[in-house]
Amino acid sequence: VTQNFPDFLDDYFAECEEHLAGVRRLLLALEGSVGQADINRPVLDELFRHFHSLKGISGMVELRQAEDLAHRLEDYLRALRQGSAILSADGIDALLDGTMMLEQVIGVRRSGGTFPDGAVVAARIATLLKAPTAASIDTPNRSHGVARQSAATRWRCTFVPSAELVVRGIRVDTVRERLASAGQILDAVPRVTANGSIVFDFVLAAELDIDVAASWAADGIQVERIEADAPAPAAPFPADPAEPDRTSSGAAATSHFVRVDLARLDELMRNVGDLVISRARLADTLSRAEGHIPAGEWRAVQENAIAIDRQLRTLREGIMRVRLVPVGEIFRRMPFVVRDLARETGKRVRMDLQGQSTEIDKFLIERMMDPVLHLVRNAVSHGIETAEERVAAGKRPEGTIVLSAATAGDIVCIDIADDGRGVDPDEVIARAHAAGLALPPGAPDAATLLSLLCAPGFSTRDETDRASGRGIGMSVVLAAVEELSGTLRLETEKGTGTRFVIELPVTLAITDALIATVAGETFAVPQGAVREVVEIPVDALLQVERNEMMPYRGGALPVMRLSRMFGLPDSSRDRLHLFVVGVAGAAVGIAVDRIVGQREIVVRAIVDSLVKVDGISGATDLGDGHVVLILDPAKLARQMRERPDRLIAAAKGATA
Amino acid sequence: MPRILIVDDSPTIRKMVRASLRALESFDFVEAANGLEAIEQVAIGPVALMILDLNMPDMHGVDVLKFLRRHPGSRGVPVVVLTTRGDDSSRETAIAAGATEYMTKPFVPHALLSAARELLGGASE
Repeated sequence: VTQNFPDFLDDYFAECEEHLAGVRRLLLALEGSVGQADINRPVLDELFRHFHSLKGISGMVELRQAEDLAHRLEDYLRALRQGSAILSADGIDALLDGTMMLEQVIGVRRSGGTFPDGAVVAARIATLLKAPTAASIDTPNRSHGVARQSAATRWRCTFVPSAELVVRGIRVDTVRERLASAGQILDAVPRVTANGSIVFDFVLAAELDIDVAASWAADGIQVERIEADAPAPAAPFPADPAEPDRTSSGAAATSHFVRVDLARLDELMRNVGDLVISRARLADTLSRAEGHIPAGEWRAVQENAIAIDRQLRTLREGIMRVRLVPVGEIFRRMPFVVRDLARETGKRVRMDLQGQSTEIDKFLIERMMDPVLHLVRNAVSHGIETAEERVAAGKRPEGTIVLSAATAGDIVCIDIADDGRGVDPDEVIARAHAAGLALPPGAPDAATLLSLLCAPGFSTRDETDRASGRGIGMSVVLAAVEELSGTLRLETEKGTGTRFVIELPVTLAITDALIATVAGETFAVPQGAVREVVEIPVDALLQVERNEMMPYRGGALPVMRLSRMFGLPDSSRDRLHLFVVGVAGAAVGIAVDRIVGQREIVVRAIVDSLVKVDGISGATDLGDGHVVLILDPAKLARQMRERPDRLIAAAKGATA
Repeated sequence: MPRILIVDDSPTIRKMVRASLRALESFDFVEAANGLEAIEQVAIGPVALMILDLNMPDMHGVDVLKFLRRHPGSRGVPVVVLTTRGDDSSRETAIAAGATEYMTKPFVPHALLSAARELLGGASE
């Protein structure tokens, strides 16, 4: 229990996340320096500072295990900085393992569980510190990074800070950023002038436009050229060529960021949601008032309504953007997982990350972490073969896993692909048999394989179970994806590789939906889930055993009539409208009476478990005072494919 | 209102320091995340008390102290160095560079508060 600062745990966790993200990034950069005497000094310094900060704040919240671990790691880094130790393969392993353990300790403090035993890491580092090193004998150039000689002209930029400038947002940090974007800062020091005031002197190597430089005078920055024969100053902050991500390095770039509690953004989003509903109400009222308003006035009213619409959409998109974080946040830890697991299983695996800057909702990121982790672990344990097997199959001994993300419109696509052995359909079928799962006739396609892999009770090999992810199976992966209104797809070819594709809406709270009616009741269907809308005569439906099928692109799809699902009378019309939902092999047609339009809807989750029905994801208010149920097409499609009779019976029971 | 300057690269620690000194109601609190920002605050207005971390990016706390003691306007500003245990710089280094008080993190809130009260003297009443 934190006695002194009980209210700061959230701040602590948030800051830990930042430090750990930094550590992961830097460790990856450091991995290339194993065995070299000349380690990138800025990388070491920054890494050291992250551990130092972790130690400091962990001590403040009295998380001794984390404090101690960070302290050990810091010790090793200090030895590296001083040249009394050399970065060995064991050393980087200890740093990686220590970091993972630190992360676990913080995770346990946050969510409960058993603390891992840090003594192992401590002992390893103690051994490393004792090991004699070549570096301790001869370390001529290690003490400081050497500034690259820049051919650019040098300038002395003097900044005179003042309260007036601070009010205008011009501070020493923003000035430093401005200079850094113009060139390379070679030096930055404060100076006391003759009259006792304080100024900052920067030495900048840059090709400066003299007019631009002159314009800086208004912001308190005086620029003068340093003649070539003037002595070059030392370089306390050499730019780092190996630095992968400038914006997150050092303090210079951080001053523009504000940390916001996610709950506050949720609150804002709810407010915008209310606004969307009010706007819909207004539209409803206006449509009824149309006849009573003179035509001239009516046009003005409509123009205003359209402007509000547009502004509301801009506001909504703006708030959504604020919630977006780069997917790299979850990607960056994957190489560690892969590395660790590869070592454990004796395989050779390379990991490629692509599209790390793709942005998705913070809420989604947190919930996608475990599923992506699971799929990546699966790729190592089940997908990639041993080096010998690969060579025998004519492949390179090293397997590759590509983890990529991309956005297309309102959809984010996360793709986990390996060049391993692929999913063997015969093996899956044999295991499905053993597990007593029902099998469709004929050779299974990818969608069928996926649904078998994701069926609860489909067990995998024991030894890889442990490795494949903290007790969550494919069924949990699928459930997590579907809970976020996403879809999971499998592409695989035996001997060539496996690819899992997760598609998610970028954000959840407000979405475009198609509005449909069934026997006078109204439902909303999220538009992202609908592949196609078709209209067919009722008598074109085929009866196959107890199920109705519809002809579709030369084949047939099972049809689910919403009227039957909810115990409502069938339409008396002779034509049906159908939403085609679900992916290729697992698509179904959801039949409604009419499609009445397309609307922006505010999704409200149904929390009352008495009202919770599978296939319904929430409720919304269309603005006319009616609460409308939102269908969850992915879940409906899956259940329809699996157990059509049971689903319908269950749904009838729930609504009866 | 006179100002208390909190210098630490950790936002969590800055918040904790601020909370510990909450009882000092007649002061404005300002924060700086690195040495240059700290010196900027000193440049733009008087500071009644500074709480200073040592191990910070770009400019070490000891260098901040040395600079302050060279600056006529802030030579007399009391500075509490608040540094993480096992830091590279010892109490002696910090005091020699001009620290008025030296405390280590983890710190106890009321200890920091009473140190601050003492250094502020009558001004904190």
